[in-house]
Amino acid sequence: MKKYYQYIVILLDDTSVSYCHADNPLKEKRLIPLEVLREAILFSMKENLMIQFVYPEYELPKEYNDLIETIDHIKIGKDVLVYDSVPTNVERKNVVLRLAIADFLAKQYDIALLLPKVTRLNISITDIENFKDELIEDYRTALEMLNSVLLNIYKGGNSPEINILTDRLRLNEMHNCDAGVENITLAPNGKFYLCPAFYYDEQMGVSTRMNHKTKDASRSVGDLEVGINIPNKQLLELERAPLCRICDAYHCNRCIWLNQKLTWDNNTPSRQQCVMAHIERNASRDLSNKLKDTGFVLENEIKEINYLDPFDVKEEF
Amino acid sequence: MKIKNNKVTWQENSAKNITFIVTKDCQLACKYCYLVGKNEKERMSFDVAKAAIDYILDRENEKNFDTESVIWDFIGGEPFLEIDLIDKVCDYIKQEMYSRNHHWFNSYRFSFSTNGINYDSEKVQKFIKKNKSHLSIAITIDGTKRKHDLNRIWKGDGSGPERGSYDDVVRNIPLWQSQFPGVGTKVTISSADIPYICESVLHLYDLGIHQVNINCVFEKVWKEGDDKLFEEQLMMLADTIIDRDLYIENSCSFFSEDLGKPLDCKLQNHNWCGAGKMLAIDAQGNFYPCTRFAQYSLRDKEAWIIGNIHDGIDNNKLRPFLTLDRCTQSTPECADCEVAEGCAWCQGENYDAAKTHTVFERATAICLMHKARVRANNYYWNKLYRKLELEGTREEFENQKPKSNDIIC
Repeated sequence: MKKYYQYIVILLDDTSVSYCHADNPLKEKRLIPLEVLREAILFSMKENLMIQFVYPEYELPKEYNDLIETIDHIKIGKDVLVYDSVPTNVERKNVVLRLAIADFLAKQYDIALLLPKVTRLNISITDIENFKDELIEDYRTALEMLNSVLLNIYKGGNSPEINILTDRLRLNEMHNCDAGVENITLAPNGKFYLCPAFYYDEQMGVSTRMNHKTKDASRSVGDLEVGINIPNKQLLELERAPLCRICDAYHCNRCIWLNQKLTWDNNTPSRQQCVMAHIERNASRDLSNKLKDTGFVLENEIKEINYLDPFDVKEEF
Repeated sequence: MKIKNNKVTWQENSAKNITFIVTKDCQLACKYCYLVGKNEKERMSFDVAKAAIDYILDRENEKNFDTESVIWDFIGGEPFLEIDLIDKVCDYIKQEMYSRNHHWFNSYRFSFSTNGINYDSEKVQKFIKKNKSHLSIAITIDGTKRKHDLNRIWKGDGSGPERGSYDDVVRNIPLWQSQFPGVGTKVTISSADIPYICESVLHLYDLGIHQVNINCVFEKVWKEGDDKLFEEQLMMLADTIIDRDLYIENSCSFFSEDLGKPLDCKLQNHNWCGAGKMLAIDAQGNFYPCTRFAQYSLRDKEAWIIGNIHDGIDNNKLRPFLTLDRCTQSTPECADCEVAEGCAWCQGENYDAAKTHTVFERATAICLMHKARVRANNYYWNKLYRKLELEGTREEFENQKPKSNDIIC
């Protein structure tokens, strides 16, 4: 079924927290003009888009808070807390951990300690390009350990979610980031971007493509006046991604920014993204089987497969 | 009854094509040339070529290089401008394949597409004699003098009149044909050439070139009405070929039985070209999925570099090419086209013409020309079949149906 925009991400400031793979390199405060924010909210209401406001670390002026409270929304950086390291304790039940792969592996037991304290934990690896095949076993072992912790918590009656292990349990089809397809980002300059990472790149004059300067660093895909206009929008869709459409790592972010960065094409994932997603998928399968053995009812059947990268077996599909 | 088939190239499906861009210079400045960044400065050094060869031969068993055979291709500009380098590089390749006991030593070709101007030079001839049994050389001659000289002109400073290169090439055709009998030439058609297609193909047959591989440029150069003129030319050519029984000794890739049928998006979904399966190397030692992704081939986009001789190939950069299929990159109109079969594309031109940085957007500038070709092609086969029927040779012909071998890029 064709997908349509469901929600909008509004960056309230250039220094709004990053909550995903890309770091926010912007250090100077630039608050979204109040009038732009007003227009953005109006746009969202008319387009029937759920709003996710992304907060900076500093407090917003009162008139901003008043305006924000005029509409249903989620506060990233407040309702959902984002950490760039593993905290010993968390102040919210919904938490994002942004970690380099080495830190994830090194801090896996600290992460396990957080599981009883949250309802949802999103792990976002910030340097997927550094995930080499040599780390496959380490990552698999780390997920196995987290699985055993989760299993015990589930047996105790609680059921926290962790994106890389539990999301796949209940998915029957791809459920990806879908930037540009199901969601769109509005930056403080009043322009639309596929996601915050594209805005960061534009502001830093960095091309995610071709490793050299681009003739035009612009990454925007419209503004509040003209609306959203994504050239080659069809290429963001699953059906136009030959590897992803045959894949059943349904929880994978399928991050188009990472795709561009690592393969130079929107709809082709890197080996790193595929392999990590499949290690997670297989760990979800283990968890699913163990939960079923314990008496949990899970309708999904996650099949056993013999590959970690669909690229290696693409001829078989 | 023997009927000339479109020839299949050497080890077509089992050879790795490795292209050295030895120079970006050329004596000519052909008007339809897609190489927008030709220059006299970027010449490959032996050290760069050697490093590339070492990198490739070191990886005999890796997936990128485990093909049964190899075609070492040398391209320019005009490759024979660098005959000294090429000779040294080919010696090194042979020596290394032999000393490493590499499986390619028993199955390799050195391949050249040349403008033919230096073909009879002492150095080129010496090179040919030395490597004859492993050589494929194609000289490009575009047809009659007026057709050839319309586009294939000498490079000048713009001050004097244009000077065509036909006379400088045609004098070498007999020598070339005597050394490589049966080898075809490649003819390129742009808008201005259309009126000369028929006479040009016939002229090439008269020159003794029995296989004419001919294609329209993929770029957006076509004017309103070109498709009608094109169709007329092809029908005129069809009439002449059939009426004069030229199909017995000659072939022209415009006419192919495997053309103009609908294609299935599941069963017939393969990509047209080999970009990504090939490897091209430039003077800086950069690797490309095909020469069309080097900067000198691109009008509007940045080069698509997939690695270099120092760091090797980044396999992530090859993934888009190796997962491409026909329907994913096609518009719905192309995917469902009822005459889709044989409609070619160039991945490099697709990339260059795309709205975004992608190889997944198929350029469609050639659409009307393809449809015109299909109509003329249908006419050709209907007419030929009827003739064979009346002559009582149709069944024999059906039993030895030719295979298509369109030259596509």
